[in-house]
Amino acid sequence: MSLLDRLAGRAPVPVFACIGPGMQAVTEHALLSPRLRRAASPREAAVLLRAGAIPERAAAAFGRVHDQLPHPRAVLRWDGQGDPADVITDAWVDLLNGADSDTDRRSDEPPNPWEGKGDHGQGGEGMMGGVPYGRPMAMTGDDIRDGLQLDAYTATVGPFAPMLPPGLTLEITLQGDVIISTSVTAPPFPQGDEASAPHLCAARLLRLLGLNAAAARVARGSSPRALWTRGAIPAGLGEAAKGEDVRARLSAWLAGQAGPYQAPRIGSMLPGLEWHEAMLVLNSYAPDALHRACAEEEEAA
Amino acid sequence: MIWLLLTVPVTLAVGVWLAATFDRLAPALWGARAGGPVAALRDGALLLRRQTVRTEAPDDLNRRLAPVVYLALAAIGLSVVPVTHAAPIESPVGIVIWGSCEALTIIAVFLHGWSPNAPFPLIGAYRYAAIALPVMLPSMFVLIAAALPAESLSVTAIVESQREVWNVVRQPLGLALFLLVGLTLTQRGPFDFADGADIAGGTSAEDSGAGRALWQLARLAMLTAFSAMAAALFLGGPLGPGLPGPVWLWLKTAAIMALTVLLGHGIARTTPGRMLTLLWIVALPVSFLHLAVSGGLALW
Repeated sequence: MSLLDRLAGRAPVPVFACIGPGMQAVTEHALLSPRLRRAASPREAAVLLRAGAIPERAAAAFGRVHDQLPHPRAVLRWDGQGDPADVITDAWVDLLNGADSDTDRRSDEPPNPWEGKGDHGQGGEGMMGGVPYGRPMAMTGDDIRDGLQLDAYTATVGPFAPMLPPGLTLEITLQGDVIISTSVTAPPFPQGDEASAPHLCAARLLRLLGLNAAAARVARGSSPRALWTRGAIPAGLGEAAKGEDVRARLSAWLAGQAGPYQAPRIGSMLPGLEWHEAMLVLNSYAPDALHRACAEEEEAA
Repeated sequence: MIWLLLTVPVTLAVGVWLAATFDRLAPALWGARAGGPVAALRDGALLLRRQTVRTEAPDDLNRRLAPVVYLALAAIGLSVVPVTHAAPIESPVGIVIWGSCEALTIIAVFLHGWSPNAPFPLIGAYRYAAIALPVMLPSMFVLIAAALPAESLSVTAIVESQREVWNVVRQPLGLALFLLVGLTLTQRGPFDFADGADIAGGTSAEDSGAGRALWQLARLAMLTAFSAMAAALFLGGPLGPGLPGPVWLWLKTAAIMALTVLLGHGIARTTPGRMLTLLWIVALPVSFLHLAVSGGLALW
C-alpha cells in the first residue's frame, strides 16, 4: 500500500445518505461519527449510504444520485441497526485496495430525446426556454417582486436533496435565486416522532446557517456554542402568526420544546422568498409537520 | 533576492497545511470534535485517490482556470508582503497590487461556480459576487487608512511606519473590518456565500477528486496571503525584538489565521439579502468613518 493510500484510508469517509421512511433520526446520529463526514453533495462522497427501504417512486432518483458519485465508490444498505461506521470504513479501505468500484445504475443518456421544436430545436423561443434533451432552460418571465423581466428556470429538487426532508420532491420555478412558484411532486417520507425531536430539528437549521460544529453539538443533545445564532435569521421570516417566525421556532427547539404540529402548505409558504430564506422557512418545521401539510394538500386536491 | 522569492512558495505550503489543521482544530473550541495535525493530509490524500468528474457540457477552460487564478492571486498578494526589510516583489504601490488581487478573487470564485454548468454552483457564484463586491469598498477604505500614517502605498513603508506603534493600536476598527474582508476572500463562515449548505455546497457542489483538492488548496493559500497581509498592515509584519524578521512575520500570520478560522467556524451566516443590506447600510458608512478618523489622526 502506498503512503497516499495509507493516508487516504485513515481519513474520515465522506458519506452521502439517501434516507428512506423512518430512518432520518438514526442516520443523522450515525453521520455524527468522527470516522465519517457528511458530504454536502454526492460528488463529495465516496460511499452512498442507502438507509432503510427506498420506496419505488424514488428508485430512479436513487439511481441518479448513485451515478453522481465519483469513482471509486461503494453503496451500502443499512437497516438502522448498529453503527454503520465500521462497514463504511471497511468498504472505503477495500476500494483503496483495488475492490471494484460500483458501476452506473442508469444509462448515461439524456432523459428526453432532442425535442426538435423552436429555432434551435429545444422547444422554447430563440435561444431560451424549453427542455432540450430533458434539461430545463431558463426563459424570460415577470419577476414577482419588481416587475423586471428576468430568466425563469424550472427544475425538480429532491427526493434526496440534502437541504430538504428525505422524500420531499418539489418542482420549483426560480428567477435568480428567488422562488416564483413551487408545487409538491412527492411528499416527505413519514419519519416518526424521533426525526421531529427538537434537538435534531434545531441541528438542521444550524447547519443551514453554516454552523456545523454547533449543529453537531446540538444533535448530541448539548447546547450550541456559536455567535449570532438567532440574530442571523431575519426577524419576521416565515411568520405564521404574530411573533411565530423562524427565529422563534428555533428558540423553542433549542429550549427543548416541540414546534407546530402542522406546517402551512408548501406551495404558499415559499414563493417570493430567496432560496436561502426558503430553505430556512421549510426547515423551521419538523419533517412530520411538513408530511402532514403535504398529506392535507393532497386530500384537498 | 532569490531567497526572498523562495519564501513565497514555502510560506504558502506551510500556511496551507497550518490553515487546514486550524480548520480541523477550531471545532473543538466551539464544542465539536477536532482532528489532529495529520488529519488535513489524510483528507487531501482521500481526494487525490478519487476521480475528478467532468459535468455535462462544462466550461472546460474556466473550470481549469478558476483554481489556478485563485492560487496565483494568493501568491501575488503574498509576494508584496515584506518578509524582512523588503518584500519578494518590492513595489511602491504594494497595497494597490493586493487590492487588485482582492477584487480579482471575485472573478475566480464566480468562474468556479459558473463553469460546471449546474444550477446550485451558479446560484453560489452569483450570491458570492453580490456579497463580495460591496465588501471590496470597505476593504479599499481600510487599506487607504492603513497607508495614511506611512504616507506611502508601499507595504514596506507601511510596516516601517509601525516601528513605534502598531496600526492595530492606532486603527483597531481597521483590523476588525479587514477580518470581514478576509472571511469573504477565503469564503468562510458568515461570509461563505459561495458554498452554503442550502445549495448543497454551492460553487463546490460539483467538485470532486483532485479538482476539488486544488480548489480547497487555493482557498487555504488565499487565507495564508490574507493573514500575512493583515499581519503586515496591522501588527507590524516582521518588526519585533530578538527573533529574526521572517519568524515574527510567520508568528503574526499564524495568529491572524487562527483568529480568522475561529471566527469562520463560530459565527452564523445570515441570508444573502440581509447581508447585502448590512454591508451597504452599516459596513460601508462605518468604514468611511474609520477612514475619516484615521486620516484626521494621521494629519494631526
